Amino acid sequence: MPDDAQLVPRGMHGRAPDVLRVGGWLPMREYREGEPVDFAIVGTGAGGATLACRLAEAGFSVVGFDAGPWWRPLEDFASDETHQQKLYWTDERLCDGRDPLVLGANNSGQSVGGSTVHFAMVSLRFRPEWFKARTLLGYGADWPIDWREMWRYYREVEQALKISGPVRYPWGPKRPRYPYRPHELNAAALVLAQGAEAMGIAWAPTPLATLSAPRGGSHPCVYRGFCVSGCSTNAKQSALVTWIPRAVAAGAEIRDLAMVGRIETDHRGLATGVHYHRCGRWRFQRARNVVVAGYAIETPRLLLSSTCARFPDGLANGSGLVGRYLMTQSNQAVYGTMEREVRWYKGPPSLSLSEHWNYADSGKDFFGGYCFMSQGPLPVAWAGIVASSRKLWGAALRQEMEKYNHQVGLKMVGEVLPDAKNRVTLADEKDRFGLPVARVTFSYGENDRKLIRHALRFMRQSLDAAGARELWDEEDDTCHLNGTARMGTDPRSSVVDADCRSWDIPNLWICDGSVFPTVGGVNPSLTIQALACRTADRIRALAARGELYAT
Amino acid sequence: MMRRLPLLAIAGMVGLGAFAAARMRRPQRIARRPQPRAKRFGPVALSATVARDVDRSAALLALLALADSGLEHYRGSFHNRVMYVPLGVAATTMVACLRDAASGSRRTQRSAAVPGLAITTGIVGTGFHIYNIAKRPGGISWLNLFYAAPLGAPAALSLAGLLDGTARLLRRDRHAFAGAPLARLLAGIVAAGLVGSSAEAGLLHFRGAYHNPAMVIPVIVPPAAAFLLARAAMCRRGRHAPARWMLLSLAAIGLAGTGFHAYGVQRNMGGWRNLSQNLLNGPPLPAPPAFTALAIAGLAALRLIETGA
Amino acid sequence: MSGARYPGYDVLAKRHTPSWNEKTRRVIDQRLALPREPRFLDAAEWQTLEAVAARVVPQPPDRPPVPIAAMIDDKLKEDRRDGYRDARLPPLREAWRRGLAALDAEARQRFRVPFHSIDSAEQDALLEAAQGGRLAHPAWGGMRCGLFFAKRLLLDIVTAYYGHPTAWSEIGFGGPASPRGYVRMEFDRRDPWEAVEDKPHAG
Repeated sequence: MPDDAQLVPRGMHGRAPDVLRVGGWLPMREYREGEPVDFAIVGTGAGGATLACRLAEAGFSVVGFDAGPWWRPLEDFASDETHQQKLYWTDERLCDGRDPLVLGANNSGQSVGGSTVHFAMVSLRFRPEWFKARTLLGYGADWPIDWREMWRYYREVEQALKISGPVRYPWGPKRPRYPYRPHELNAAALVLAQGAEAMGIAWAPTPLATLSAPRGGSHPCVYRGFCVSGCSTNAKQSALVTWIPRAVAAGAEIRDLAMVGRIETDHRGLATGVHYHRCGRWRFQRARNVVVAGYAIETPRLLLSSTCARFPDGLANGSGLVGRYLMTQSNQAVYGTMEREVRWYKGPPSLSLSEHWNYADSGKDFFGGYCFMSQGPLPVAWAGIVASSRKLWGAALRQEMEKYNHQVGLKMVGEVLPDAKNRVTLADEKDRFGLPVARVTFSYGENDRKLIRHALRFMRQSLDAAGARELWDEEDDTCHLNGTARMGTDPRSSVVDADCRSWDIPNLWICDGSVFPTVGGVNPSLTIQALACRTADRIRALAARGELYAT
Repeated sequence: MMRRLPLLAIAGMVGLGAFAAARMRRPQRIARRPQPRAKRFGPVALSATVARDVDRSAALLALLALADSGLEHYRGSFHNRVMYVPLGVAATTMVACLRDAASGSRRTQRSAAVPGLAITTGIVGTGFHIYNIAKRPGGISWLNLFYAAPLGAPAALSLAGLLDGTARLLRRDRHAFAGAPLARLLAGIVAAGLVGSSAEAGLLHFRGAYHNPAMVIPVIVPPAAAFLLARAAMCRRGRHAPARWMLLSLAAIGLAGTGFHAYGVQRNMGGWRNLSQNLLNGPPLPAPPAFTALAIAGLAALRLIETGA
Repeated sequence: MSGARYPGYDVLAKRHTPSWNEKTRRVIDQRLALPREPRFLDAAEWQTLEAVAARVVPQPPDRPPVPIAAMIDDKLKEDRRDGYRDARLPPLREAWRRGLAALDAEARQRFRVPFHSIDSAEQDALLEAAQGGRLAHPAWGGMRCGLFFAKRLLLDIVTAYYGHPTAWSEIGFGGPASPRGYVRMEFDRRDPWEAVEDKPHAG
């Protein structure tokens, strides 16, 4: 039985849901379809929502489209993993390659607010050297952006989200203090800390986008542990609770349950607007600029399917790289059992972490880095992990599951190198809108496997040092998606420039994880939002110089 | 706002009641030798009224220590049996101090057991708390100072014990202890207590990221009051209006702080309905009235100082 | 066989405490009220599914069973897909229909009776063979039985079972938690509204 929010759009009739008040509404400006808005943004996740907010606050007219519903977390979210799968992308995608990706809960959201509605709130900065990975570290590709510039934008996002982080962060150059203090560690997180100390490496409470103290209309975290199933406390500072209300207050319009199916271009090769499906029929919104922010699968899917006579291979695809260089991040884990009760279902899943192997360059037989974090999967997720990884069923499975309250685990977020063979293409199958379904092809490379082996070995030693027993590996898991519209300095080897503007179509922008040339060993959400803030600044600068295109 | 009003009112009334009780002159017990009226404003009578106020302050501190250690040790599931001790000691201290304050007797038959026990329990408790903080991964770190056993909490019991001990000395017509005039001793104890409590509030408000501007008040006013009180103690003669006003403000701040904390509890997810969580996770209700208690003792010390006793 | 590790603990007993909110009550009520007969699968498929579920998650007879088959039937009826699938597998409904029919066909080929009629040891043996990729009846229609077992059969059955309040009580999970979450997150600490572990079982 679908929720009300999944059937009828809420962002209509001049109002938007006020997610911070039960049953509340905010006035929302509405734009006429026939008149071009300055920016039509496809997708309202970490990239799209941030950009919509900053552009609206800069005075541009903005309409954001999202295929997903506009949830009211306080009322719509149940404490039930199965029901809350309504937050994930549920339209079909095909996964192949040697190591087919596991999508859904891991990395694909479908909501106003995108994947930030279900993400685990881990908010980490890139290691500065990664922005020049090829030049400084000898692998991957260089970003066309300097790390010091990104450092400024990281701070802006951390302030906007009131990230709760440690008073002193052990790795990287000195950074300003996180706006809110770290959360208390649960037992699962203490295991990571004990293991790290035993191994002689630093650890820290994870910087998280969930509140450790009150903020405005939001409550602080109650440690209910359903984070990746949606925060009904509104402690999680998702885009739904932060950037979107700001965007609406600044005059942006957000259209929920609006699936954009095609970007229209004209005889000059400029984007003119978007075709979208809402309330049972296809509609068209004229726009002076189009921003694609659908994340690393939907963005290339939309660009590749918006073919026309002038662009038979899809939009912005002069380089042929749209959809290519798909990167995920290795998400393997080691689990074990403690004699003491751990009850890892309490609190956010990853309360502590170590970035040691992101910053240490010796002792590795691979390029790139990884971090690892404590874990706290709820029963359905845990059952899936146990059944898949240990291949258990029958009485043995039930016996294993009974150890639930004594489990501990360490899970990695590992860098995967860009490989042109890993890609998103269009399949022949069609979805319910008649649009071609995406095919996601992925295989690990040799470097990726070495990194994973190193991480599994280290995490195992760490857990053992912390006193966990009956250790086993979860080997088949990935998280996050990036790279399918990479940025660069050369139009022949990239899709967008440093301003996230496509080389081929000057009024077509991309604002999500697709633009990453490399993916690093940290969760991408903070970097995506920082890039969006930077892109907004760049757009304002271009507009001031009269270099912004208008149809 | 309408929902919060009754609770703020209750908190305010309770606090005002406590304050009024502290200021009120209690009738003497018939059985005791009645004080000649002329002597009421003599130095001996002054010591008695000061002692009574100090006892009331100590009783309030002991009550707060009882409530606070009760809540926090309940949160800690009394995992170590020894965690029951401060509850018993705090209760005993409170009852003893209330009895002394009510009786108005210049002499006390009790031994030094009660204040000695309170002081010792506080010191031993501090040791336990330091161990609790230091044994966690990271040792003495911000994270553990925020979330492990609160460093300054047991000291509240020692403070109550020190005040109770001072009150006993006052009743015995003592004017000095270990070479120091009682006025200075009392002022010193109160000032130290103010600085310590302020530091504790500062630490926990830092944990709360000073999300509300009012959270800086307990970091600024108590040390200022301590400074003014200490200065008055060194100067001794004459009136000390700034110290008096600062201490009176502090008393009011303690009450207001309780209101703020009640608001903070209500403002968390589920509000009063989720009391089983919010009473423990929210801002501690027994914390702010400690400033009111110390203000009472500080004002008593000020009277002692001003009359050159 | 495992005994009761958390005796007397029932997540449903917290329905009217601050640990449950209105939305959660409605959602769980809906799950508990699932009809126990098929609304998508036909009778034969249903019988096969029930038998398979009973082997994959054998349930103790001393309490009302978790209606795994009904939960999966409901999932199929609503076509609640994962949002992705291994390209080598057909979509959700097709995969299940084919898989159930194929298991039945395998049983008939070996024992001349449908899957639900053979004894549990033989059922286990067939399921193990499926897991190991060793079944090749034409009824699989090119769908790899090992992949179907791992990605569909096992996952859907196991996640159905552990998505039910009975299973949550069994493993001592705190259950729904909104508006009230948890206070005590340390080792060996529990809030009064959490499950109490029967210590001889521990370790």
